[in-house]
Amino acid sequence: MIERLLVCRARGTDPYENLALEEALLNRVGEGELILYLWQNERTVVIGRNQNPWKECRTALLTEEGGHLARRLSGGGAVFHDLGNLNFTFLMPAADYDLPRQLTVIERACQSLGIPAERSGRNDLLADGRKFSGNAFYQHAGKAYHHGTLMVDVDMEMVQRYLSPSKAKLAAKGVDSVRSRVVNLREFVPDLTVDDLKTALVSAFASVYDVGTSLACPPIRKNLPNLSLRDQSADWSRQSILPSSLQTLTPDEFDLGGLRAKYASDAWLYGQKLPFTLSVEDRFPWGGVELQLNVNEGVIQAAKVYTDAMDETLAPRLEAALTGCVFRLPAQRSALEALTLPEEQKVNLLSLLERSL
Amino acid sequence: MNYPKELMYTKDHEWLKEEDGVAVIGISEFAQDALGDVVFVNLPQEGDEVVAGDAFGDVESVKAVSDLLSPVTGTVCAVNEELLDSPELLNSDPYGAWIIKVENVTDKEELMDADAYEAFCAEEG
Repeated sequence: MIERLLVCRARGTDPYENLALEEALLNRVGEGELILYLWQNERTVVIGRNQNPWKECRTALLTEEGGHLARRLSGGGAVFHDLGNLNFTFLMPAADYDLPRQLTVIERACQSLGIPAERSGRNDLLADGRKFSGNAFYQHAGKAYHHGTLMVDVDMEMVQRYLSPSKAKLAAKGVDSVRSRVVNLREFVPDLTVDDLKTALVSAFASVYDVGTSLACPPIRKNLPNLSLRDQSADWSRQSILPSSLQTLTPDEFDLGGLRAKYASDAWLYGQKLPFTLSVEDRFPWGGVELQLNVNEGVIQAAKVYTDAMDETLAPRLEAALTGCVFRLPAQRSALEALTLPEEQKVNLLSLLERSL
Repeated sequence: MNYPKELMYTKDHEWLKEEDGVAVIGISEFAQDALGDVVFVNLPQEGDEVVAGDAFGDVESVKAVSDLLSPVTGTVCAVNEELLDSPELLNSDPYGAWIIKVENVTDKEELMDADAYEAFCAEEG
């Protein structure tokens, strides 16, 4: 039974540190405790535990533009985070896991801000029939967490840009993302801020779990907001009252060095032990090229090149250069640059490889 | 719920069977029922070392990702690759769909026999 409520807010917006803190909190959570963790990531695509990054996201484009790729412990599909998104995590002993109750916290927090949030199916939260929160779940050795995104004002162009499929044909085992119609909560409440939502979540958390708190949630409104009501609730939520039954956990209590390194490592992000094949082709002024790559643990295990270019040494030289190469743009770029080829061919081949990433 | 007598069980709901010095490991019917429809199984590779009590892979279902904790310490000598294409076998045939086989076993978690495990599951509800 839940007897102690704890709230933790992330220190910064580094996705690897934030995921490390999430895992540290899971290790830390004790019997009778429930932790609500609130965090935000700067420009990041977060993929599910068992997803192929190249299938789900434009990894090269994302990282070359200063974004991050991250992999979480929980399952499901790829999501895009920026500072217009707020993440929440409920962490507890597995015996106290109660998904409907946890979702009620989110639903009530949204409703208290005038958002017409409603539950749909087992674990979706919708507003006006569109999804604003993606949820995922993880359990390990008797402990569990449930986390999710809350889209307040996410840059939808970036969602399209990084989560669009690459031009390559990719045959990989793993979990595929399911596309959903999404919506930002700002569409319902134009002046909504992430801080408003954080405050509302903490209040709803205390109220739904009601562990001796005296602070009640504002009345729940199921229907679209009447503006004056919404303004009152905003004022209420901005008072930033921390109910006395809640305790605060500070990130500084945890040593995250090792865990952060795991989440940021190429092995965790790209090194899945699960072979897949990728093929990409194009036609250039000097001939057509098709590349077939066999990738496992983040390294090209075998490369096959088909081309009608005049230079008959091109295919074997390219195959030799790519075999054993790390399946990331910088490594492939150096492999190509080491070959003696006309500059035009190098540029074309590099763009072909870039498209496959 | 079925608890075959010839198997041993862990608190984390894995089953174990010893065949000619090789430990065969899978998940119990109770586990598959709690997980719901399995959509993916993340497996180790042959030759990987596993450690008793540590994760050696995970099962992703429509409800959650759950780590698979190894009941033994040893070397993976076989992996059921059929599960990559047909993860639902863990739901339909949990005691037939073994996950890994481990040889050179040097250490073991505390295991329960079928009766003790059945009582343990009854308590967990």
